Amino acid sequence: MSAVLGSERPQVVSHVQQALSYTVFDCKWVPRSARLMCLGSAARGTGVIQLYELRGARLEVLREIEKPKPIKCGTFGATSLQQRYLATGDFDGNLNIWNLEAPEIPVYSVKGHKEIINSIDGVGGLGIGEGAPEIVTGSRDGTVKVWDPRQNDTPVANMEPVQGESKRDCWTVAFGNAYNQEERVVCAGYDNGDIKLFDLKTMSLRWETNIKNGVCSVEFDRKDINMNKLVATSLEGKFHVFDMRTQHPTKGFASVSEKAQKSTIWQVRHLPQNRDIFMTSGGSGSLHLWKYEYPAQRSKKDSEGSEMGVAGSLSLLQNVTLSTQPISSLDWSPDKKGLCVCGAFDQTVRVLIVTKLNKI
Amino acid sequence: MGDESVPYFLGEGTTKTYQIPISHLDYKFIEKCTDIKHLEKILRVLRSGEEGCYPELTLVCEKRIERLDPRNRALRKDKPAATASDFTAEEWQAINSELMSWLAEMNEDDKKSQLLRTDTPNERQDNLPPIRCSSSCLPTNQNKKLQNKQRSKKNIPRDYSEWDKFDVEKECSKIDEDCEESNSKARFFSRPSLPIIEKKIDTTGMTKREKIFIATREKEKGNEAFATGDYAEAVTYYTRSISVIPTAAVYNNKAQAEIKLQDWDNALQDCEKVLDMEPGNIKALMRRATVHNHLQNYQTAIEDLNKVLSVEPENSMAKKSLQEIEEKLKGLKPVSEPQAKGKKILIEEIEDTEGREQNTEECERRGGDKSSGAAAAAQAAAGEPAMGNAHRKSHGKGKEQDRDTHKHKDSSERGGKKGASKKSEKHLSDYEDEVNGYVRSDEKSESAEAKEISTPHREGFQSAGGGSSTSLPPTAAKLKSEGNELFKSGQFGEAVLKYSEAIEYVTGLGEQSPDDLSILYSNRAACYLKEGNCSDCIQDCNRALELQPFSLKPLLRRAMANESMERYRQAYIDYKTVLQIDSSIQAANDSVNRITKTLLDQDGPSWREKLPPIPVVPVAVQLHRWDGGSLTSEDKPSTIDISREEELQMNCEEAMEKFKRLKNEGNDFVKMGKYEEAANKYSECMKLNTEECTVYTNRALCYLKLYKYEEAKRDCDHVLQLEDSNIKAFYRRALAYKGLQNYQASADDFSKVLLIDPNVVEAQNELEEVTQQLHLDSSAGAGNQQRHGKKITIEEVTEADEEEEGQFAPSEDAQTHHVAAEEAVPKAVPRRSSQKLRVSEPPNAYDFGQIINALNANKDKAACADLLTATDPKTLPVLLSNKLEGEILLIFIQSLEHYIAGKDPGLAYQHLFYLSKAERFKVVLALLSKNEKEEVQHLFDLLTESHSDQYSLEDLESLKEVYEL
Repeated sequence: MSAVLGSERPQVVSHVQQALSYTVFDCKWVPRSARLMCLGSAARGTGVIQLYELRGARLEVLREIEKPKPIKCGTFGATSLQQRYLATGDFDGNLNIWNLEAPEIPVYSVKGHKEIINSIDGVGGLGIGEGAPEIVTGSRDGTVKVWDPRQNDTPVANMEPVQGESKRDCWTVAFGNAYNQEERVVCAGYDNGDIKLFDLKTMSLRWETNIKNGVCSVEFDRKDINMNKLVATSLEGKFHVFDMRTQHPTKGFASVSEKAQKSTIWQVRHLPQNRDIFMTSGGSGSLHLWKYEYPAQRSKKDSEGSEMGVAGSLSLLQNVTLSTQPISSLDWSPDKKGLCVCGAFDQTVRVLIVTKLNKI
Repeated sequence: MGDESVPYFLGEGTTKTYQIPISHLDYKFIEKCTDIKHLEKILRVLRSGEEGCYPELTLVCEKRIERLDPRNRALRKDKPAATASDFTAEEWQAINSELMSWLAEMNEDDKKSQLLRTDTPNERQDNLPPIRCSSSCLPTNQNKKLQNKQRSKKNIPRDYSEWDKFDVEKECSKIDEDCEESNSKARFFSRPSLPIIEKKIDTTGMTKREKIFIATREKEKGNEAFATGDYAEAVTYYTRSISVIPTAAVYNNKAQAEIKLQDWDNALQDCEKVLDMEPGNIKALMRRATVHNHLQNYQTAIEDLNKVLSVEPENSMAKKSLQEIEEKLKGLKPVSEPQAKGKKILIEEIEDTEGREQNTEECERRGGDKSSGAAAAAQAAAGEPAMGNAHRKSHGKGKEQDRDTHKHKDSSERGGKKGASKKSEKHLSDYEDEVNGYVRSDEKSESAEAKEISTPHREGFQSAGGGSSTSLPPTAAKLKSEGNELFKSGQFGEAVLKYSEAIEYVTGLGEQSPDDLSILYSNRAACYLKEGNCSDCIQDCNRALELQPFSLKPLLRRAMANESMERYRQAYIDYKTVLQIDSSIQAANDSVNRITKTLLDQDGPSWREKLPPIPVVPVAVQLHRWDGGSLTSEDKPSTIDISREEELQMNCEEAMEKFKRLKNEGNDFVKMGKYEEAANKYSECMKLNTEECTVYTNRALCYLKLYKYEEAKRDCDHVLQLEDSNIKAFYRRALAYKGLQNYQASADDFSKVLLIDPNVVEAQNELEEVTQQLHLDSSAGAGNQQRHGKKITIEEVTEADEEEEGQFAPSEDAQTHHVAAEEAVPKAVPRRSSQKLRVSEPPNAYDFGQIINALNANKDKAACADLLTATDPKTLPVLLSNKLEGEILLIFIQSLEHYIAGKDPGLAYQHLFYLSKAERFKVVLALLSKNEKEEVQHLFDLLTESHSDQYSLEDLESLKEVYEL
């Protein structure tokens, strides 16, 4: 049976396992290299940034940087391919941008939020996304802020609840729709199950929905195209795929949902080389590889003649269980198809190879 | 029994978790159960082990679920990551080595870029778009954002307990309303299926590696969009990718996307780019073939497919499309080149000679032509006797065929032109005169003998009932028909070989059939003539004439060959001889006049004296043209004897004979344009034989010419009862219906004709005309007018003939001649009208261009006017694209002036107005000659005179300025 599977379906191979001495919250491939970053919190309450290089069947530490505050998340999304500056968000609400060659002082630093920055995303860098390089941060303080590394101290856009109203914990943010210089949206997921879509061009809330359970992770299938699909994962193990092409005046975007496992789905990441394949990482230490299949017609007319999206279907390509602890972070290599890194709460970072992605 | 005993045995009725009866945890039950939900529960119970551990049963249960629902979630099991053991050694090796090579590549790259990096840290900063809402506008944006947020958050419950009461739908709809007010703009931008995406990527300062990365990414985006069916988006991303790094693969993909969008021109360009980069790229070839196919360049498409097949002979796709295109090509050839290809199948069976010098060559074409229709059906393998012979045949069949040949006017026209051009090239010295003279005298001396041979032969087949007049052995007949085919397709050299073989074969058998041999020689002579090999042509003609003296075709051919060789005297004599046989041959008349002039120049007033004697043509041969029944002079006694005998016998043969005679007379009358008489003759024929379809179809033709559509229809109906697929009958009935203005029935019949033989150009044209008449009243009016004109000409002719009836010989000849000339008029009219009516509203610039070219070639202003009427003036610039030429402008102006300005000055103005908007207009205008300018001026004058609410005089003046008047 395994032979059959081996020949047809993608397989997930755990290529390298690297035990860490700290809790890893996020891991990221350094673009255009075989290096990866691990971000986390050391036992003594400080932040750790580790730069590893993949050398054959092992990971070699190139650099280890300790910072005062535990680091929750990081992104290369707003940097150029030459610079490759890492933007991080820490437990104290600071947004820092680091030059990994000279990591002592951040090249950009701002106390963006009052509380922990849960999530960060960047766009406009790495040749991904038109327009200005921008970073979005989502924090427990309930705000979502967009930053331009060229503008110090203040965000270029701020999405927060009105003062006096109780704030929802923003768990996840993602950029999308950046297909030309003007268009750009930010999607944010909150602990109460809210998903909000902010249009940065018109500075307005474009769409909002609620998926009943806390939204752990949202991601557009591609940031730099006319927004196509959005995946949102939830606390109780379900995830939703929204078709973002057709917005109905009242019904919004069509979606399909799937339950991967009983535990929380911590992360969703689309394969950079194929937008219709994505991986979810689960609380039970499992990874699921999915493929979205489009319906024959992506939109139809409702009784009033408004365009209405039609959701497609999902198929599970592969699932593996790597750990007993949740896998909290996941990142595909932008350069090597099928190469993937994931960090789990068992203080291990794993480099995975997913095979046969070409044949799907 | 088991169902009860088990629970009893276990002491428990159901499982703990799902309250499933314990009895369901059973092989038999699971095998039969189709309720997936229930099976899932059972599986869960079994897996949990709470009722005990049954690995086998669990497996069975899983398999059962898998069979019912292969993608069931219950089947998902936690699996460890794959390891080397999950792969074959090679696979594992491949995975590892692939990774290693990537790592090596990355390392290499790192070293390079590190060198670069230090000096280029901020180079792209300048190109970046400005910072979003600079600090000054930040507060407002923030406020606005706040407000938005406020609104959206207003009623949202603030703690988790409240969430239960939260009405998501309601909130959503509120938000959406909100959106509709404030976000209409955002929405507008999100809606269009074609978002505004930059077509180019600024790559300044990028390293090669970066460019590759970006190009690849854009390509991937394109591929994804393509997979989703967003072809326009795909093309955009491919274009972006190409703007960074042009690669063949991306061009190829782009071409495919453009094919999907039916953007043929761009697809073609892209395929060509691919092939520039990678000649022999199979995919690109396939795609280019597809594009060519759709652009109707079938020949090029076939070439491409052949290239593909030469590389991949097993490529089934290529094979399939090749086959399809070839079929299409077969079906469409006549349509796509109706002018060039001429009439392959001719239904108008009786056309008079137009007197072109080429009509001698027609016979070869038709020899192998399967289409001679009803007449040919009766003649079976014939065609041959007629070939090359106006020479007297005692049976009219030959004559009828002879006339059939004139149908091929069109094709022969072309052939003739070719021949003519060759002729002018070939000027051989005169030394062959002697040879020729010698041959001729030879011929004369043998002619009597030949006649003797031929006469008994003729009698022989007369008495046999004479259906088939050819006695060629099958092999020779086959060779001959092959030769005819080759000749038709213009392969004269090969045709010569075939004829030579046939001749050899026949001569090898001994001279049993001088007629056939003569025809073979004559045919070969035609080939030689076409090839410009005049001396061989003359030789063959001589041989043919030895066998069949006073055979029209060899005589004509010899005349032409002689003329080409500047042996005018011989040519003159031959033409004269031809004219003795049939004075209606215009070519001969023309040539005689021409040669007379030449000889006059050459030899002075006494040129006639230098001529060799002109052979005297036996009267029988002359008269034969006019009356197949009445025989005179030499042949008379014998034939009369025969007919008397036959009359005495009063047998079927005699009836047949009479029938044939009557029919031939009828045919002759038709040929002369005396349709009335012809119809009478045919009617007499019918008294003798009601089974003969040809007579009916012929009479139907007469009725058509006489505008007795009802009668024509009846005759056709009769034929169709006898022969349900008689193509001529269908065609004529269609014409009759058309005359009766029953266009629907007419269209049906034309369709049937095309169903039987899709190559009938006339039927296609007529069908289009009729269909258009069904739709277009205006063009129907125009068509009627023209038909009316045609009617008058024919009637005149007919009357004239009736008056002069009874007169014979030379005057009759002249009369027929006159008819011939007149006949050309109605002939030309329907052709033009059918072409004109082929004009329909063109769907795209390509079709429009095709139509314009066709119109321009014929200077067919009427059709052009129709085209312009059918075309929306606004679309003119688009349809013309960049193809506007002086000639096109001129024909537009002329047709507007002559046809449209009078009827609808508004439309004419509109056309002029939009014409001036077309690309290249200024250029073309600048190149107009003075006369042409005057035409434009005249049109404007016309428009000024006539008034329309669509334009004012000021409009006209300003437009005049545009036209630089």
